[in-house]
Amino acid sequence: MLAQIFATAIFLLMFIFIVVEVVERHVVSLVCALLTIVLVFGLCMQDMAAIVDTINLKSLFTVEFWYHTGNEGGSSAGINWETIIFIFGMMVMVEGMARVGFFRWLCMYIAKLVRYKVIPLFMTFMVLSTILCMFIDSITVILFLAAVTIELSRLLKHNPIPMILAEIFCANLGGSATMCGDPPNIIIGTSLGYFFMDFVTNTGVIAAVSFVAVLIYFYLVFKKDLLAKASEKIDYNNLPTPESTITDKRGFYISSVIFLAAILLLVTHAQTGLTVSSIGVIVAVATLLSSIRHAKLLLKQVDYKTIAFFIGLFVVIGGLEKTGILEIMAGFIGKISGGNVLLMIAIIIWLSAICSAFVDNIPFATTMIPIIKSLSVTYGVDLSVLAWTLAIGTDIGGSATPIGASANVVGIATASREGYVIKWGQYCKKMVPATIIVVLISMLVIYFRYL
Amino acid sequence: MKEQLIISVGREFGSGGHEIAKILSEHYKIDLLDHNLLDEIAVERGLDADTLRHLDEKHIAPFVSRSVRNFSVSPEKNIAQLQFDYIEKKAAKGDSFVIVGRCSEQVLKAYDSMVSVFVLGEKHHKIQRICELFKLSEEKAEKFMKEKDTKRKRYHNGHCEGKWGDSRNYDISVNSSVLGIEGTVAVLIDFIDRKRQL
Repeated sequence: MLAQIFATAIFLLMFIFIVVEVVERHVVSLVCALLTIVLVFGLCMQDMAAIVDTINLKSLFTVEFWYHTGNEGGSSAGINWETIIFIFGMMVMVEGMARVGFFRWLCMYIAKLVRYKVIPLFMTFMVLSTILCMFIDSITVILFLAAVTIELSRLLKHNPIPMILAEIFCANLGGSATMCGDPPNIIIGTSLGYFFMDFVTNTGVIAAVSFVAVLIYFYLVFKKDLLAKASEKIDYNNLPTPESTITDKRGFYISSVIFLAAILLLVTHAQTGLTVSSIGVIVAVATLLSSIRHAKLLLKQVDYKTIAFFIGLFVVIGGLEKTGILEIMAGFIGKISGGNVLLMIAIIIWLSAICSAFVDNIPFATTMIPIIKSLSVTYGVDLSVLAWTLAIGTDIGGSATPIGASANVVGIATASREGYVIKWGQYCKKMVPATIIVVLISMLVIYFRYL
Repeated sequence: MKEQLIISVGREFGSGGHEIAKILSEHYKIDLLDHNLLDEIAVERGLDADTLRHLDEKHIAPFVSRSVRNFSVSPEKNIAQLQFDYIEKKAAKGDSFVIVGRCSEQVLKAYDSMVSVFVLGEKHHKIQRICELFKLSEEKAEKFMKEKDTKRKRYHNGHCEGKWGDSRNYDISVNSSVLGIEGTVAVLIDFIDRKRQL
């Protein structure tokens, strides 16, 4: 009982400190992880095995960690090293791509392709944001996309805010389509033993249907703003050429090949047997070897704070799991729904969406994984259906408010630092309806397809 | 080319810091950047100055803000950053100017050409000055002064590491009540000229 109280208190403390931002979130999660180990596992449970299980280092030395032979399904308990190694590898690859100017080139190339026409640019940048975020972290994508959008908007004389808002939404939507698009998905996939294509054929289909709806929605709500200054004369000679954005031509080609290889490895990993941790290591090593002169810089630019945050978070959630708190929470959801699958799905998708709109979706999704596992066992519901529901809810819900997802923060900050201030009201007015539309569509697709 | 000179002026409300900054800019014949900074940015980039000004020198609202890496959703923080980037760019270009507030003594501390000043004053002198300038009663002037100083302190300490008014962060801290505005300006000009000769 005391262990449960401590585990819950530490978890709540972590959430509160993450929200108030008095100290950085990785410091919060690491301190809370230490408290979990000392107070929950050490002092209350006096269980050395629980500590070893939660630290989970032994998983690194198993064959299944690097090469899978079947649909084993990882454990959701403790530190998910597969997620951490994969995210690290992708971060190195993305840093390598950014160094050679890949993202700026892609944005400028597409802008040139649509002849710098505002509406086609608006639509293609939404597509670009969605597709890139299926494979690359949304922070990097929005960082480049928003910067280019502002640069082009100054030259093309239109307001960049509508375009940035649509790009942010599409980044989160694209992230929901694949296993590596958004951190909750990689955690869900590695914890429950799903593959890249499992996500593409399930959450990917939902995201594709939703994308059509948001494309129409954003076109209708932003058309007037985008075309407000359409009659003004534009000097196309001031526009940068795509080629001028490449900083290292040889590195650019190599980075493009590594990126394509990463996509291929992810798409085929169910067939090749390579786990996402192996793929992470392969892309990181390939990137570092191909730009050996810049290897130190690339490694320095990796976001270690996020990795540390993940490690701490997994330990804190491990505390909740080991003390049985998450089973109690699962029982509560099961009781409210009365074992009714329709209601259970509605609760999971809306609860995930609403919570993710206000708090970091990574701790939320990590907490919910053992809960949906327990619900699946207790009520005989297909675990995969609950997993897709959780993934969509957490990924999409984050779009609703400025603080819901990392892409929102980066997009808003990039615009505001250039003087295009996006306030809460202005943001929510356009993004909350889009979020509700997509969550509703997703819920209906889940109902019709799986039940 | 004329040698670069940047004068950063931090000030307590009612101490006459702004007036001192204005006299220094006239003396050295260099631009004065104060609340007009956002107007300058707005004109240059075709933005709405009123929206920017509304968020100027405000502290960061808690709970409704979130940071990712070095990015924040707080409009107040971003408008502050917009100004920091602007003055940093101006300094990097070699421009000379007097800048009032905006954490400039921290933002530009890498520039040897900067002289950072903090102007403070005796409470009764500041209240008297506020009463005259804003036609307020003593009681209201004191309240107004406290509000303004609290706001400046929260803004400064929320956006940069060094503490507002801490003499260790400035080249010189001066009490304008001792010598008055003109006397303080004379001391500062002497200090700035001597520093430039080093």
